[in-house]
Amino acid sequence: MKKLTNLFKKPWFLGSIVVIFITVVLWNNPIEKRKYGLSQSSLVTDYTGLLPERVERVVVADNREDLQRIVKRANDNGQQISVAGLQHSQGGHTYYKDGVVIDMRTFNRILELDERQKTIRVEAGATWEDVQEALLPYGLALKVTQSQSIFTIGGSLSVNAHGRDIRFGSMAETVEEMTLLTPTGEIKNVTRDDLDEWMKYVFGGYGLFGVILDVTLQLTDNDLYVIQTEKLKTSEYESYFTQLVDHQNTAMHYARLSVAPSSFLNEMYIINYNYTDKQDQKDFLKKEQGVRLSKIALDMGRQGGALEDLFWAMQKRYIASIHGKEITRNNAMRSESTFMEYTKPGRVEVLQEFFVPVDAYEDYIHNLKQVISADDKTDDFKVHNITIRYAAKDSFTTLNYAKEDMVGLVVLMQHGVKEEAVTNATSIIQRWTDVTLKHGGTYYLPYYRYQTKNQFRRSYPAWENFANEKLRRDPNEVFQNMFYDYYIK
Amino acid sequence: MNDKTTRFLPLVVTVGQVVIFPYYIIWLKQVSLTFTLFAWFFAAFSFAAAWGYRIFQSKKNKDQSFIFLIYVGIGMVYVLIGYIKNPFETLPYMVLLLQVILGLLQGYFRAWHTEQETYHLHAVHHYLIVGFAMIGFSFVTIISPVVFITIFGLLLCLCGVWEFIRKRKESI
Repeated sequence: MKKLTNLFKKPWFLGSIVVIFITVVLWNNPIEKRKYGLSQSSLVTDYTGLLPERVERVVVADNREDLQRIVKRANDNGQQISVAGLQHSQGGHTYYKDGVVIDMRTFNRILELDERQKTIRVEAGATWEDVQEALLPYGLALKVTQSQSIFTIGGSLSVNAHGRDIRFGSMAETVEEMTLLTPTGEIKNVTRDDLDEWMKYVFGGYGLFGVILDVTLQLTDNDLYVIQTEKLKTSEYESYFTQLVDHQNTAMHYARLSVAPSSFLNEMYIINYNYTDKQDQKDFLKKEQGVRLSKIALDMGRQGGALEDLFWAMQKRYIASIHGKEITRNNAMRSESTFMEYTKPGRVEVLQEFFVPVDAYEDYIHNLKQVISADDKTDDFKVHNITIRYAAKDSFTTLNYAKEDMVGLVVLMQHGVKEEAVTNATSIIQRWTDVTLKHGGTYYLPYYRYQTKNQFRRSYPAWENFANEKLRRDPNEVFQNMFYDYYIK
Repeated sequence: MNDKTTRFLPLVVTVGQVVIFPYYIIWLKQVSLTFTLFAWFFAAFSFAAAWGYRIFQSKKNKDQSFIFLIYVGIGMVYVLIGYIKNPFETLPYMVLLLQVILGLLQGYFRAWHTEQETYHLHAVHHYLIVGFAMIGFSFVTIISPVVFITIFGLLLCLCGVWEFIRKRKESI
């Protein structure tokens, strides 16, 4: 004890305590999260905050009968309704001026899990994480989900999202049944062979065809995969990917394309999840790991120039280090997301996604070099990351982005929020969209409305059918949002 | 004059630090993302203060205490806080560093102050002055605590300069 007391009298010892403590605090400093959504005190926004709007009220979804009453009353009173989950869409899809917003986040129960049939019935406000937690004890996993588990089921289906799986088709195709509150206030049980084809419009329908109350999703086994990573030249990717799909030993796949100045759009890293014929023996879902380190690295990359080169080198090293490691299907479908938080005042980070046919990829990337600059260090518009995903041909939904097997480029970009900066970003993204369309591609609709009406219509030729069906099924146009208002009405 | 400033400067600093404390707390809470981080900021301050206290106590030549630098140092920290108009992403890291500097300097100052002849007199006076000052401040409506924090910072810098001049004159 006396020794300890003497030790505490030494300035060097006290100094060491300070140094150790601040190191611990620095490492565990919480990451500031974006403030957005229905919880804002005055105007409602979605994830980017770029389209603030005043709504009449927010109704927290509690039970089906109440929701039905709200929809029927809206039909009688000429009110407008929007549906919101976790609001990660970025183009005002979840609210409308002076409308009623139904907040589905509390509508999140797991209703039924059929272990033999491998299906789960779940309310639409549940997150993919809620579903994964329910599936884990049964050794089951989702067939298709997004690469992160933070979104609601209803939200993901409304944007017909996709993830890393390359074997089970589109997310919409994994839904066996759905309970829908239609725009006229009926509660309908809808199956895949439904003659009215509700699913065709509700999935990828951006909340314009009623409220998804619950869905029955197809499941598969929580297989154990081995991670295979590889470095490629962009020019090698088309043939590599075609072989990968044909060989059938890979369950999931994604890639990263360099946006660092020295290897700009020339280098890629591939991450495959290959079958092992084994299943998960341990009951655990991984939590967010290495968030602080990932954030520091990404923040460094955000600076552009040499630091972006360093960030790419670090990514390559990290990806190479996970080669040969084993991971379960559930864990491969729940990537970290907190490290991407970005809260700098006056600037915003947004996503865009472009799809091109697999065989157009090389030419497309070559032409893309004319649109975005290799070193955006001093530019207002910056591209931080491009992830490559596979989107299987979808002939099921109306506003389908994958008219054939497509390669998707998920782009994380940043720009200022002043009018001039937004105009500049809009101009670049419109040029990018033109290049995409020229290569037979499309762009994804859940994001901010940079594209023109004409670009929307060229990308989604079935929009007229979508608009006509909307008016037929929702004659009073009760279900509204800013996306509908801007592009379809 | 020398005698007066020797007596009053430490009192001004001690009273000022206590009076500014509530405003500083409001600011610190505003920049802390969570209560945990808020508490950690305090812990960092305390550890650093213990370190600063022992640094002074272990000094061999206590006459050369460079106390004017301590005043200026604390003052600069408060002035810097006044310059932070909007929160930014790396602010929590910066605040942690400021807390350590502030703790270190205040610990050092306190250790020095306890060895001054006037310390016990100051202890009584400072309680009384703080009490009356806080009653006075309770009637002042503030929009942002950083206004007072900046003013106090400038006052401390002034005290530092005054102390430096006093020491120079004393040595001559």
